[in-house]
Amino acid sequence: MENMKNPMPVNIIVAHGLEAKALVKALKLERHQASSEFLEYSNSNRLRLVVSGMGKEAVAAAVTYLAQQQASADGEIRAWLNVGIAGHRDAPLGSAWLGNKITDRSSGASAYPPQLIEGVEVGSVVTVDEPETSYPLAAAYEMEASAFYAEAAKYSTAELVQVFKVISDNLENPISEIDLKLVPDLIATQIPQVLTLIESMSEIVEQYNCSQRLPSYYHEVCSKIRLTVNQKLQLKRLCQRYKALGLEAELAEVAGLKGGDAKQLMRQLAERID
Amino acid sequence: MFSTIYIEEEVLETERVRKLLDRFAQVPQVICDRYGDVFNRKSQNFRLQKMSPALILAKKHGRKVLDAPAGYGYNDSKSYYFSHMLNCVYDCRYCFLQGMYSSANYVLFVNYEDFEEALAEKIEENKGGGVYYSGYDCDSLALEPVSNFCGHFLPIFRRYPNAELEIRTKSTQVRCLLDTEVVSNCVIAMSFTTSDAARQWEHKVPSIEKRLEALHKLQLAGWKVAIRFEPLILGAEGMAPYESLFAQIFSKLDVQKLHSVSSGLFRMPVDFHKRIVKLYPDEELYARPTETVDGMIALKSADESSHLVAIEKLLLSYVSSEQYYRCA
Repeated sequence: MENMKNPMPVNIIVAHGLEAKALVKALKLERHQASSEFLEYSNSNRLRLVVSGMGKEAVAAAVTYLAQQQASADGEIRAWLNVGIAGHRDAPLGSAWLGNKITDRSSGASAYPPQLIEGVEVGSVVTVDEPETSYPLAAAYEMEASAFYAEAAKYSTAELVQVFKVISDNLENPISEIDLKLVPDLIATQIPQVLTLIESMSEIVEQYNCSQRLPSYYHEVCSKIRLTVNQKLQLKRLCQRYKALGLEAELAEVAGLKGGDAKQLMRQLAERID
Repeated sequence: MFSTIYIEEEVLETERVRKLLDRFAQVPQVICDRYGDVFNRKSQNFRLQKMSPALILAKKHGRKVLDAPAGYGYNDSKSYYFSHMLNCVYDCRYCFLQGMYSSANYVLFVNYEDFEEALAEKIEENKGGGVYYSGYDCDSLALEPVSNFCGHFLPIFRRYPNAELEIRTKSTQVRCLLDTEVVSNCVIAMSFTTSDAARQWEHKVPSIEKRLEALHKLQLAGWKVAIRFEPLILGAEGMAPYESLFAQIFSKLDVQKLHSVSSGLFRMPVDFHKRIVKLYPDEELYARPTETVDGMIALKSADESSHLVAIEKLLLSYVSSEQYYRCA
């Protein structure tokens, strides 16, 4: 994991502690003491992992919880990755793919996570409310993806919300006979793919956040002068424009903070570039 | 070439689609109900998707030949546009498509026969005439090896010699045209900006030299070609870039034979501009001062009209006033 020292603003959600085990080890995550119902892990590279519990409601609650914790005033976003086991008609145990179509069987609705990441197998995922034993479609059957995708896409952009499913059961190895102790091993075989995903998603999210990052002047003004919501939006755009025009260094010179008058500050900033 | 191919179930078994899928068998293929399920979803980011666009094969429902926007075009004939494709393989920072669609994926409408029928109907409604623009929502030629647009649509206009087809493009994919007998009522209109503007804002677009070479070959083969200087993004650079661009273009082509030459200022609907600013808050072009007139955003420039006049004057030193028009 060469790029472990780079920032990895990725949230990983798994349904079960056994699915977390191999990831915690490979990603050097540490138990994160939090006053929530969820088991949480993190590392110094900004990776977070939450064990949500099984099913759509549980995963949606975990996503909401984590998103609210991470709500950022400067508009930075994070990537979201759901990793978990699934069943398939005949795919070998341990095989895995990124969901390029997620169908919620109870509603019949499908979502299509945009595919920007190369080098990872892709395939369909069907989310069911009860464990599936006959696997009618050539898809990975599991219980969280549709709710995870719908919920996480509220807090990020669809390109940065992905689900990765590892096959743990099929017709020859039915779900009733899964040896749960093998789940960490199944996930462990796919660690290289998971790392590729995390690294690629991190690069994309960093690129996105970098383009949206505001000059420190903006935060300074917000902390020192009382601004209405509308004034904050105006100031944000003015700061973005200064940055895009290569004039970021001039912000404080053009409008100092001594007067403390928001309207005057905004006027001075606008006059310089309009 | 494409990250994924999405296919509407309705067109999955058509011959055109089967051929494409066989050709791109190595690209992951996903079946969907309607292209909008993929293309029109919220929470998508056009800028990120440009990194790795997908192809969506779909059927166009509803009206296929639409009235051209006011001021779009070169004569007073009734004019229309049709789009067999949405989005463009190029990535021009000034392009309004970035603000028009939430997805950067390419939608290819494969029911060409329905477009053919709609075009024939419209042409007959106009007593065999009218001007028909292709390349409003896409670049008509850039995906030619995949779409075979020319192979299908040129013969339609060959049948209607009084109807005029303009293919608007920045592509050098002109082999399909050079291998075909000239269609005298078809105009290939190539867009150009100054070399600095091209370097700064036209990503993945063939160089000015290559585009010019393609036009030159077309002209030699007898095709009608036109030049579109759009969008003009006027700044502090003065006339020098235009002098250089015009000299380069008009020394390469047979000016007398040019079908038309036009210019058009950078303009876009306010809503599109707002969306693009969100996508590209760090883009210098969108940080410039703007003004809004009738719901359209334009760059604010004290000397815009005098600059434009000077550009037009320079243009008219190369081409006749009959050849030139200003796009509204």
